Amino acid sequence: MAEAAAVAATEMTVEMVKASQLGMKALGAGLAVGLTGIGTGLAEMAIGSAAVGATAENKDIFGLVLLLTVIPETIVIFGLVVGLLLLF
Amino acid sequence: MFTPEGMTRVLIAATKSQMEPVIRELYRQHLFHIEEFVEKDSKEYEGYRIGTPLPAANETSRELIRLRGITSSFGIREDEEVPVSQKVKSSHLREVIEKELPLLEQETEELLAKRAKLDAQIKEYEQKIETLRPFQDVPFDLSLLRGFRMFSVYCGYISKSLSLDVPHEIFSADTKKGKFVIIVVQQKDRAGVDQALPEAQFQAVPIPDEDGLARDRIGFYESQILARKGEMEEINRKLDDIRTRHRDLFLACHELLSADVEMAEAPLRFATTGRSFVVEGWVPTVHLERLKEGIHYATGGKVFVYECEPSEISDVPPTEYHNPGFAKPTEMLMDVYSRPRYTELDPTLIVSIIFPIFFGIILGDVGYGAVLLVLSLALHRFLKGEEARRLAIILRNASISSIIFGILFSEIFGFSLPWKPLLFSRHLNIGGHAGGHGPDVTGLMIMAVWIGILQITLGRVLGMVNHARQDHGSHRVKAVLANLGWIMVLWGILLMIWASFSMPFMPDLTGMPPIGMGLNLASIGGLVMIVTGVLFIILDSPLEVVELPTILSHVLSYARLVGVGLSSVAIAMVVNFIAIGLIIEPQLESLTALGVIFIIIGGIVLVVGHLLNTILGMLGGALQSLRLQYVEFFTKFYKGGGRKYNPFGMKKRFMED
Repeated sequence: MAEAAAVAATEMTVEMVKASQLGMKALGAGLAVGLTGIGTGLAEMAIGSAAVGATAENKDIFGLVLLLTVIPETIVIFGLVVGLLLLF
Repeated sequence: MFTPEGMTRVLIAATKSQMEPVIRELYRQHLFHIEEFVEKDSKEYEGYRIGTPLPAANETSRELIRLRGITSSFGIREDEEVPVSQKVKSSHLREVIEKELPLLEQETEELLAKRAKLDAQIKEYEQKIETLRPFQDVPFDLSLLRGFRMFSVYCGYISKSLSLDVPHEIFSADTKKGKFVIIVVQQKDRAGVDQALPEAQFQAVPIPDEDGLARDRIGFYESQILARKGEMEEINRKLDDIRTRHRDLFLACHELLSADVEMAEAPLRFATTGRSFVVEGWVPTVHLERLKEGIHYATGGKVFVYECEPSEISDVPPTEYHNPGFAKPTEMLMDVYSRPRYTELDPTLIVSIIFPIFFGIILGDVGYGAVLLVLSLALHRFLKGEEARRLAIILRNASISSIIFGILFSEIFGFSLPWKPLLFSRHLNIGGHAGGHGPDVTGLMIMAVWIGILQITLGRVLGMVNHARQDHGSHRVKAVLANLGWIMVLWGILLMIWASFSMPFMPDLTGMPPIGMGLNLASIGGLVMIVTGVLFIILDSPLEVVELPTILSHVLSYARLVGVGLSSVAIAMVVNFIAIGLIIEPQLESLTALGVIFIIIGGIVLVVGHLLNTILGMLGGALQSLRLQYVEFFTKFYKGGGRKYNPFGMKKRFMED
């Protein structure tokens, strides 16, 4: 086992390192979008349910609650920005 | 254009004898927004009282309620959109209401009563059939089950086996609900039976009060029901006939009576004394002369109309939009947020231009744009109702912008058009044979940031104008300076960034002569702007300082224009790759019978995928660009909360004077 690893380590080429870096970048981008997406989801969950309840009581505040609901969306947008900058 | 319609406060005073003509004229003109009179709520108050309705109010409302009963039984909605070929003269309509309508109403009411009676009968017969149903297999007369003195009769279902140790006679039949039994025992043996029955889980069934075989009786009632249903159908046909022939008449009468009731109840909003009345309200300044002349003409000049001076007015006028036709549909988006206050700038025109542009940047694709354009034109044609049509026009403008940006981005359904992107490239490297440079994310991002910087600066400038218009005294100066402070901080930060880093599509100030501490002229200038800006902000409200990071987050928030757009492009390209690259193309190389099926499946994947992406793109594009207006733009200057201008009167759909 250790022997095999040693062989692999010696045979590591520049292409392999580059490919590996690319993979790490892709992973990082995926994490950035995915985790921020979860964050946004968690935040919008509570706001959204309250917003629906409030709108049921008074339809006039629909615009206001829509606004409040989409505020956490910024989090995932930042994740997306980071992801895109990582990839390209 | 950027301000709501100008309003003038008008006070009308006259003797009570002029009340009716004044109300009639105000109603006809449909211009006067009545400010309701509120009576002071103290015991010793002696002054104006709320008026009483005109004498005709009672009878007219009664007539209206009766008509509403009829229309609702026909399922006619008062706001129903019906094509109106010719308007009816209101004088003619009055005659109809007096003569024809009562007859029609009577006829309808009779038919309805008859139908209700038939309905009740059918229900009753169905009930009877229900009680007879268990006995349908009983081969003897039902009258034999009743009227004994020496015997007791038990009828019902049992679900376990029954053992009776008293002399008895039993009839049983198997049914879906269990075993149906009729047991006859002597009165004196009842105790034994009462004990045994619960053990067999006996469920009693009442004996129907009928003579003859149950099956015959059921048949008889069923034929009765059929006959009643036939009669009901006849009545329904008659009612339908009345509905189709007189629907427009009902609607026109409803309009006239509603107008009459509203006019008759108008004095409830007036201030009155024993012999006179006063009514206050707002009228668009451009129509002021028309209102005055109309009232003068209608009353022979016996009414006093007074324009209030601004110094005499304490409350805020109602808001009526005043926009060019192009921006009118966008007023809907403004109402969703909040109508502007009378004193505020009305950003409808700005939104009506920027919203489609943002939509286009997000969904810049000729194909999707064309699909949405067709959809919006179809919606505009087939949808009824003002709001829906306005929405269709907003979508139309947005999709036209989407097509224009599609040409600039060189995109059609995720494919590229036969030219290189004129703006920034959004083509991703998706698919087996993808090549090229990939998207120009840096360029796109900087474009988005520039849009953000410009719109936020515009928002702050509008904020300065708003505060200058609305506030008074020292607060006014402070508020204007605070908005200027925000602009200075934003541009100061930009200057410092430009002085330190060189970026594409941004001014490069790194080459400025250095002054000291690693700072050059531009960064010193930026620093000064930031410090002054923060001081201006603190001067107005120190707490606002915690909001400083929003400068960064709001500008970066515009990155969604790129992010959401690129994800839409990615989905389109992935759909193309799966459908064409993975399913269709391999089959085309050597066509087989199975291959044709695969190609069809590929086609379905292509269509469904793009359909889904169109819907996603439309929702994402609309919501995200709307959000940028609402959250990032409006919060800089816009408060809203204006009252709707709601003039006394109505838009006549069916009648004319």
